[in-house]
Amino acid sequence: MVPILGRSLILLALLAASAGSLLALATGARPSVAGWVWSRRLAYAFGGLMLLANLTMEYALLAHDFSVGYVAHVGSRSVPAWVSAVSLWSSLEGSILFWGLVLGAYVALTTWANRDRYPEHMPWAVGIWLACGAFFSFLLAGPAQPFATVANPPLDGPGPNALLQNHYLMVIHPPFLYAGYVGMTIPFGFACAALFAGKLGHDFLRPLRNALLLPWIFLTIAIVLGGWWAYEVLGWGGYWAWDPVENASFLPWLTATAALHSALLVERKGVLKGWTVTLIAATFLLTILGTFMTRSGVFNSVHSFTQSAIGPTILAFLAVSLLFSVALFALRVDTLEAEGSLTPGVSRDAAFLVQNLLFVLFTFTVLLGTVFPLVMEAARGVQMSVGRPYFDQMAVPIGVALLFVMGVGPALPWGRATGQQIQRALVPPLLGATALTLAGFLLGVRSRWTLLALLCGGFTAQVTLSEMILPVRQRMRAHGEDILEALRSAGRRGRRRFGAYVVHAGAILAIVAIAVSSTMGSSKEIQLREGESASLGAYTLTFVKGEVVQEPHRESVRARMEIEKNGQRLGTLFPAMNYYESQREPVGTPAVRSGLTEDLYLSVHNIDARAGTVGLLVLVNPMVAWIWVATAIMALGGLVALVPPLRARALAARMAAAESAPAIEGLQ
Amino acid sequence: MPAAFPATAAPRTRRLNLKVLAAGAALVLPLIAVLLFNLGRDPHSVRSPLVGGPAPAFALQPIAGGAPLTLESLRGHPVVVNFWATWCVPCISEQQSLTAAARGLRDARFVGIVYEDEKPRIEAFLAERPLDYPVLMDPGARAAIAYGVSGVPETFFIDGEGRIVEKYVGPLDRQTIAALVSKARGSPR
Repeated sequence: MVPILGRSLILLALLAASAGSLLALATGARPSVAGWVWSRRLAYAFGGLMLLANLTMEYALLAHDFSVGYVAHVGSRSVPAWVSAVSLWSSLEGSILFWGLVLGAYVALTTWANRDRYPEHMPWAVGIWLACGAFFSFLLAGPAQPFATVANPPLDGPGPNALLQNHYLMVIHPPFLYAGYVGMTIPFGFACAALFAGKLGHDFLRPLRNALLLPWIFLTIAIVLGGWWAYEVLGWGGYWAWDPVENASFLPWLTATAALHSALLVERKGVLKGWTVTLIAATFLLTILGTFMTRSGVFNSVHSFTQSAIGPTILAFLAVSLLFSVALFALRVDTLEAEGSLTPGVSRDAAFLVQNLLFVLFTFTVLLGTVFPLVMEAARGVQMSVGRPYFDQMAVPIGVALLFVMGVGPALPWGRATGQQIQRALVPPLLGATALTLAGFLLGVRSRWTLLALLCGGFTAQVTLSEMILPVRQRMRAHGEDILEALRSAGRRGRRRFGAYVVHAGAILAIVAIAVSSTMGSSKEIQLREGESASLGAYTLTFVKGEVVQEPHRESVRARMEIEKNGQRLGTLFPAMNYYESQREPVGTPAVRSGLTEDLYLSVHNIDARAGTVGLLVLVNPMVAWIWVATAIMALGGLVALVPPLRARALAARMAAAESAPAIEGLQ
Repeated sequence: MPAAFPATAAPRTRRLNLKVLAAGAALVLPLIAVLLFNLGRDPHSVRSPLVGGPAPAFALQPIAGGAPLTLESLRGHPVVVNFWATWCVPCISEQQSLTAAARGLRDARFVGIVYEDEKPRIEAFLAERPLDYPVLMDPGARAAIAYGVSGVPETFFIDGEGRIVEKYVGPLDRQTIAALVSKARGSPR
């Protein structure tokens, strides 16, 4: 019963999406009111049907209906209800279904929010979104069918992947990742619409930029949550390994970040329109490439979904999207005419260009490193891996350069700077730079790259802070407002700008924290019997005993470790090894004691509770906690920058109601 | 600027930007080619070093009771050793094919070895869906370790001399079983 209901919903969604896509594209080419009304209705229908299909699957998972193929595959009666609920995204078919839900929500809500705006663009955009929707519905209807009927339903299932059950971060990481990944479809639709319409004016930039910023925030959080999860769960003590799947999430982030900046140049100067839509299209295409990477089984990675039959289908979609984009750009990019020009010379504009080129260089570096093993396999038949050294060697200089440009750009004026302006802008921040570098050196930083990162970080931090305060100071001086009043009015007027600088502040903190944590840590492997102690740096660890803890969905063997620092007792840590019914290999859970300056990280290699022995990897990682804090700051800044349009919209609605005058544009 | 539907149609231009086309194609086509070439390659697949060599011996207790069954006692017949578990959905789906093949291919000997499962569950399962060939318990997963089993279902085809002819990962269908059994039959004695 449930499988049939689910399959019907999927088929209806496929129907709504394909019909809606064709209709909307036709409406774009030959505008008509009826065409637009029905395109919209079909977009809402697609979103609604995807929601219903997901609710049906949730019902089947929670009710343990093993006649549903996906439930028989990942369900289990022995796991807690919350594990059953989140099993939706624990395996291939369910994750595609969840993708459909996120896409449906994005498409329906964006269509609704812009139902009576941008008449030249919206039909095209809806057409592109629903074409993507049709593809994912097709995946769900055929190659990755979650609602297959199981003829002889088993009495119980194996339960979802043990890693999912092992840590709450694995429960929240995927939804953020999907919100980021899938959300990139929306700016792609807008970018294609701009090309189709042959117009990327000032008014259309705002929805384009906001559509990019929202998933960018999600993706930023998701990437770091992924790293955080790896840190808290995988037990090797790091948070990033340049694994193909990590790269898959990082690549679109790089191009999206570049696009957010080049969109500013479009706004300010009316230039780089074609370039900006290229970056946006690249972002979307990289998310599809990433989906192929994780789901085709071609790339060897810890995270990939194992052997699946949907690789060829996704590759076909990727190839069609790539070729479609190239053709669309070649045919239409010349219709996006520049309205201004860039002045040569040292200026903020130039810094933007450098920033964009650095981001694109970064993208190519990571893409090359990720795909290179495949090229080698194809050309020479040898299996190889590029590995961390390549990525670290390339990423560190680019990262430091970006950190520097992030300070130079905002310090310089738009247009063209005179020698004196340059001097005035760049010399004072060097004070901040020197101070931070000196502080680092005194604290024991000796790595050249880390010192350089501190230098650039200090420079950029000072510029960023003074740019944040600048409007407040100006208002205090010009209007004689007190500081609170000035803060409030500056915040009201320049929120987007302020938000952007908050993001920059977070990024500086993140880069410095990454530099310090990856060069200043120490580690040791120890083997202890009950009652024995070992030390690393200022820490002394005592193995009290091994304990076995029974939980409903797993059995956990943990080591009770007493921790002292400089002779003072800090507490007890419990690094553990967990055994799941569905998996032969145990999954470790490291114990991390996070602090403001450093983390103590304990990871079990082997433990025998009966014999009373434990083997541990002990690490002291400085500043890691600041990476998580920095990400929160970045996300917050992004939200601050995103909120004004909503407020402006509400304000505009109120004004329109009051004066019954169309005053939507031109506000803010 | 008040928005009004329907809009006027976009201006039509027929200028093809060849530079963009060339640059796009230069980037996109090699990428597609490389991905296409690598499709279907499984980076996890490592050919079992056991294939071609002697099958590890075992002496395991059948679940139905009786004396332990040894691989030795099956010499002279092609042997199909299938590792499975009740919690493994593909294993259950391939059992129809295995049972049918065991009935059809009279000279071959089929053996199921239980992988990471408990006796009561197996007994309950077999009470409902009996199998036509012996099912053996593998305490401590010794046989699974000796055969290098990394997941189920995995099936080994052994010739009359006790050499592993083929290892198959994933659920089998009848045709594949027949083909691999005849490979085990036909290997030089």
